[in-house]
Order: sequence, then structure tokens, then C-alpha cells
Amino acid sequence: MSMVSTAPSRRRRVKIDPWRWVGRIFLLFLLTFTVLPMLWMVLTSIKSQFAAMQYPPQWWPAEPTLQNYAKLLDPNGSTGQEFLRYFWNSFYVSMVTTILGVIVAVPAAYAFSRFTFPGRTFLFFSVLLRNMFPSVVFLMPLFLLMRWMGLVNTHGSLILTYLTFGLPLSIWLLKGFFDNIPIQLEQAARIDGATRFQAFFFIVMPLSTPGIIATSIFSFIGAWNEYVYAYTFLSKQDSMTLPVGIQRFFTEFATDWPGLMAATFLMSVPVVVLFLVLQKYFVRALTEGAVKH
Amino acid sequence: MTNSQDRAQRSGSPVRRQLIGYAVATLTTASLMSSTVFAQAVDISQWSPEYIRSIAGTEEVDTAATCSAVVPLDYTGKLTYWWTGPNEASPDIERQINDEFWAAWKATYPNIETDAQNIDYNQLLDKLRTALLGNAGPMVLRLQILGGIEFASKGYFQELRPEDVGYETANFWPGAMKSVAYDGKYYGIPTNNETMGFIWNADVFKRAGLDPESPPATWDDVVTYSKQIHDKLGIAGYGMVAKQNAGNTPFRFMPQMWAYGGGALDEASDTPTYDTVEINNEGAKAALQASYDMYVRDQSVPVSALTNTQNENQQPFIAGQVAMVIAHPSEYAKMVDLAGKATGADKPVADAVVANMRYGLIPKGPARRAVVFGGSNMHFIKPEYVDGGFDETAAKAFACFYNSPEWSTKLAWTGSNPGNLEGFKTKWMKERLDSIKFLDVTTSMLPSGIPFPVIPQATEIMNIIVPDMLQNALTGKMTVDEAADDAARRVDDLLNGL
Repeated sequence: MSMVSTAPSRRRRVKIDPWRWVGRIFLLFLLTFTVLPMLWMVLTSIKSQFAAMQYPPQWWPAEPTLQNYAKLLDPNGSTGQEFLRYFWNSFYVSMVTTILGVIVAVPAAYAFSRFTFPGRTFLFFSVLLRNMFPSVVFLMPLFLLMRWMGLVNTHGSLILTYLTFGLPLSIWLLKGFFDNIPIQLEQAARIDGATRFQAFFFIVMPLSTPGIIATSIFSFIGAWNEYVYAYTFLSKQDSMTLPVGIQRFFTEFATDWPGLMAATFLMSVPVVVLFLVLQKYFVRALTEGAVKH
Repeated sequence: MTNSQDRAQRSGSPVRRQLIGYAVATLTTASLMSSTVFAQAVDISQWSPEYIRSIAGTEEVDTAATCSAVVPLDYTGKLTYWWTGPNEASPDIERQINDEFWAAWKATYPNIETDAQNIDYNQLLDKLRTALLGNAGPMVLRLQILGGIEFASKGYFQELRPEDVGYETANFWPGAMKSVAYDGKYYGIPTNNETMGFIWNADVFKRAGLDPESPPATWDDVVTYSKQIHDKLGIAGYGMVAKQNAGNTPFRFMPQMWAYGGGALDEASDTPTYDTVEINNEGAKAALQASYDMYVRDQSVPVSALTNTQNENQQPFIAGQVAMVIAHPSEYAKMVDLAGKATGADKPVADAVVANMRYGLIPKGPARRAVVFGGSNMHFIKPEYVDGGFDETAAKAFACFYNSPEWSTKLAWTGSNPGNLEGFKTKWMKERLDSIKFLDVTTSMLPSGIPFPVIPQATEIMNIIVPDMLQNALTGKMTVDEAADDAARRVDDLLNGL
């Protein structure tokens, strides 16, 4: 008879870290807090108007329908025509604002980063002056100014306004980027015969791409979502942007919730896509400068 | 299952008796007004559902011919116009009629280049304020009844009365004309007159042991019914609305306050001077106490009443979680529209909701039966505030066309009554009476309509001070007496420019 000795199994004791679990639960809560409203928005958008008013609510639509989306995206229907026009207007205004913002902010930030000139510090802080006041303070003065310039009911009024709001942040963000690019790289380029502009354009710009992209995302989102100025400056349906245009789903006595949710979902698509595609640059931009080079 | 209209057509039913009784009761009041409304096409001293039915469809109109006498149909000009029209959330029929109107306008005056902007109800006043400061207003606009006086008092509006566009003042409801008068002059034309009614859920009434076909007759009954419904079924009885800075609140609370004999000022009297503050009189306090009883003592209204507008009450009403609400006729039309579009499993539920809806007169109180006299008015803006200049002829052509008996009736199809009383005689009014349930109720409420005070401070009193008073009492921040006295002090300060 053979004896089989079994050695006591060596079980690895895993230490439970309560703080780690608290963290996970907190993250789960944050995830729910963030995702649930969007999930509800999507679910409501595929309900009929009547189903959206049921109580207790239909957690999953009894009769799911994509009719609200079809209506909004149908270029032959009046609703679709208007929605697509608002969409295009928002895209146009946001894109032009972003491009112009970058064109102005990049050289401005570069100048603040690289050059020393009288009043540099004062000017650098003064670009923030506008952002120290609530935007509504400037509503009437800007409206009167736009009226004087003949820009009321034009997209130019919004682009100009959004630029004045977005530029300070863009300049500050980009200056931080330029500060982190070693000046020796430009000096080397200059020694190799590059002009200052060539050194800026071929050396500094490519290195600051993450910052420029992050700034562009900020600028685009700001212009895309802006409501108060668009609501004040524009009164013609043809020129309305999305945040103002989707008010057509409200009346004094009723709200078309599914239509509103479908429009809101479609409105969020460009921003989400933009963010997903460019998020690696965005994250890099936020952490740039955290470590001293 | 029967509906209110069916019942109204059966002799002896409670609603029928109510309507007739009510019509008789209003005869006295109306007759007092008849001395000032001579030469009316529609005799409002005879106002009753039967009278309205008897005159509907008795007159043929030719809008183009009428307006050609004011402005030649080949006139070439331009028009800019702002209004709040139907949109995606409106019943289909409203949008359809709106499209027909613009097609007809273009066909009638093809050479008037028109820029019409349909601006959201909640945006229009703010946009107008801003635009006028920048001299960028439209030539013509249509504003909610309470909105115009602020701009008239600031000198933005031109003098305007029906005679300027081919109609007679006598053919517009006196209360509506009062809403476009300021400092002894007229600044607009009433486009439509509207009053709300009382909607209840018959099925809920039945389950709560109430007569499903009889609405509460008085505001005291509303308190009692609301408690009974809540106690038996655990749902809200009355759909109270008490949100701050919201127009919905006074539209639902003021009828209650007037019914008990109160008022913000003396707007409920026959000849209001708007000099007397009545928001803390015994009637006003009784109305406030009734609201307090429902919200605090009985807890029989939605807990969210303090932040609710009527939009927030619609959903629980449809879901059978609220039994009674003061509602606009448009809301009924909207629910019918939604039920018509429901499919599959939603369809029987939607149909049941509509079948259980009843529409009746707003309850009366110890002093009177009352409802806010609502609607909209058309105004002309002074040339110096108009973007691109004012084309008076085009504006007059448009005002004539819009306020014609034909379009005054059609554009008020689901939710309102024609501002031009001649509209009651048209075939379209007959069609409405034949096809729209509860229209009798809406027309019957008109003589009970009380316009908000026609003073520039009315918006602040109604949208700010009245809701604040309700909130102060319902949250327990103040007693009922203190809340009413505080409101009175604030109204007094406002009127005295403090």
C-alpha cells in the first residue's frame, strides 16, 4: 500500500483592497450618471410620441420606430429640410470659427511664447479680460455692434462673437505648448538656413499638432453648442443654428419628446465623432507640460 | 362610453344644464355690455352654445374681395412678420392650415415679398425686446395677449385698430379690444380669443367613487374631489401648476382667485381701473388657502407642482396619474392627434386615454366663474424700429387678410376662437362645431374671460409675483396671510415705481 502524501496546497491569499473597490463603485456610479441620460435619450428617440408620455415609462419601446430619424434626415420633407439646414449652418459656423481661431491663435500664442516685447505680460493677461465677465453682459453691446455693422441675421455675427470668446483660451493653451518645445530646435533650423517663419512652420507647427487639435476641438464644441448669441443675433429660419433650431419641438402646450431626442442625438454625433477620432491628441494636450522636459 | 359633446346634445345631462344655466347667467352681464357693442355682426348679448350653432354657416365670405377694397391685389411691396406658429410639436391639422394660409396669402397678394419668421412661444418676447433696442424689429407681429402692452407703453407700436384694415371694432370681443388699448388709444387687432376649460379623467373619477360624467362644480369641490381621488387611488387629484416665472401658473391660478372674489388688481370688475391692489383681499386669500389645502394639508396634487408647467402635467394626466387639469383646447387636440398616430400595443392604450377624457367648464367660486381671457393680437411696429423700413400698404393688406372672418376662424381651428366675430358666421365655424368635440365648452367660457390687467407691469405681476406668492405659501416659507400681504406689497411697490 503506498502512501500518498499530499502536501498542503499553497493557496495564494489575495489581499482585498477596500479603497480599490470604493474607487470601482465610484467609477461605476459616474459611468451610470453619465451614460444613463444618453441611453434614455436614444430610447426616447425611437418611441412614438404617445409611448414617450406613458407612466410608468416604457423602459424598452413597445413599438420601436426610426420614424423620428427618418423625418429629420429626409431632405424632401419640411422637417428634414429645416433640420438639415440648421445642421449645415451649425457646421459651417463652427468650422469657420475653428479655422479662423487657429489661424489667429497660433501666431499669437507663438509670439507670446517666443518674443519679448513691451507690455507682453500685460497683453497676455488682458486677452483673458473678456472671459472674466459673464457672456450675457456682452449680449446687448455686441448685438448693437453687429446691427451697426449690418451683420445681424448673418453667420458672420456668430463667427466674430465666437472668436472673441474662444481666442483667449486657445492662445493660453497653445502658448503652453510652444513653451514646451525646445527653442534649440528652431535655433538649429535657423543655423541651417531656415527663416524664422520656416522654422515656425516646419519645426514648431508639426510638434504642436496635438495642441492645435485640442484647441480646435474646444473651439468647435464651444461654437457648436452656443445658444444665447445665436438666439439673439438670428431671427431668420434660414440662418438658424441647431441649438436654436431644435426649439421647434416645443410649443406652449406640448413637447415632441421623441423628435427632440432624435434631433439632440443627431446633434451630438459630430462632436462625439470628432472627439473619438482625435481623443489621443486631446489627452496628450491636456497632459502636455505635466513633465518638465 | 360617451363624451361631453354627446352629453351636451342630450337634454337634461349635467353638462348641458350647466351650459344652459351658465349661458343664462351670462346674459345679464352681457346685456350690460350691449350698450357699447351696438352694430355688432354677432350679438354677444345672446351668447350661448345654441346661439353660436344657430349663426354658424349663415354667411359666405370672400376674403380676396374684402381685402382688395383695402389694398389692391396687385400691390407690389414687402412684408416682414414675426409670430408664434405651429411646429413639430403641434397637431398635424394646425400645420396643415398654416401651410394653406401662406399659400392663400401668396396667391392673393403675389407681389408682396414676405419674410415670415415663426418664433418659439418662449423666445418671441425676448427676441423682440432685443431687436427693438437695435431697431431691427419686423413690420408686423403677432403677440400673446399679455405681451403687447409692454411695448405699446414704451412707444414701439403704431396706433392700429380694425377700421384701419377694413373691419369694425364692434366686430371684435370687447375684452379683447381692451387688451390692445393703452392710454386711451388702440395699438392692435385681436387675432383670436381663447379660453381654457377643465379636463378630467372619467375612469379615475369612477374608480374614486365620483360621478365620471360630472366635473367639480365649484373650486371647493375641486379640493374635495382631489382629496378623495388621492385618498382612494393614491394618485394626484388636481394638476396644480405653481412654477415660478412661468406664464402657465397665472393662467391656472387666476381663474381660481377670481372665482373666490380675489384678483391681482381690480381686473375682474366690470370697469377696472387697475389702481386697487386686491391680491390680499379675502377672496384672494381663500383661493390661496384652497391651494394650500390641496398641496400641504391633503397632499392631493403632484409634489412637483412647485416646478411644474402644464407640459409636465400632460404626461401624468395621459398616464392616469393626475385626474383633473385646467387645459387649453389645443391639449385635447394634441392628445387626439397622438392617439391617432399610436400603433401596435400603444394604440388601445391611447384610445382608452382619449375615450376617458372629459372636457367641461372651469369650476366657479363664491364670486363668479372665471377664466383668463387669452389669445393673441396683431401689432404694427413704428417705422424707426423696423429693419429695412415699414411698408404700410403691405402691412395693411396682411392684417386684413389674416384677420378676415375666413382666416381668423381657420387659424384658430383647434385651440381658439376667431378674433373677428364675423368668423362665427362662416361655414368653417360650422365645420369646427361639427367636428371638434368640446368646442361648445370653449365658446361657453368666453363670456367668463377676464383679461389680465392692461398695464405694462402685468407681466411681472402675473409671471413673477403671483407664482412667488403661491410658492411662499405652499413651501411654508410664509403663512397664507403673509404670502398674500407680501404679494400685495410687491404689487404696490411695482405700481409706484419702487
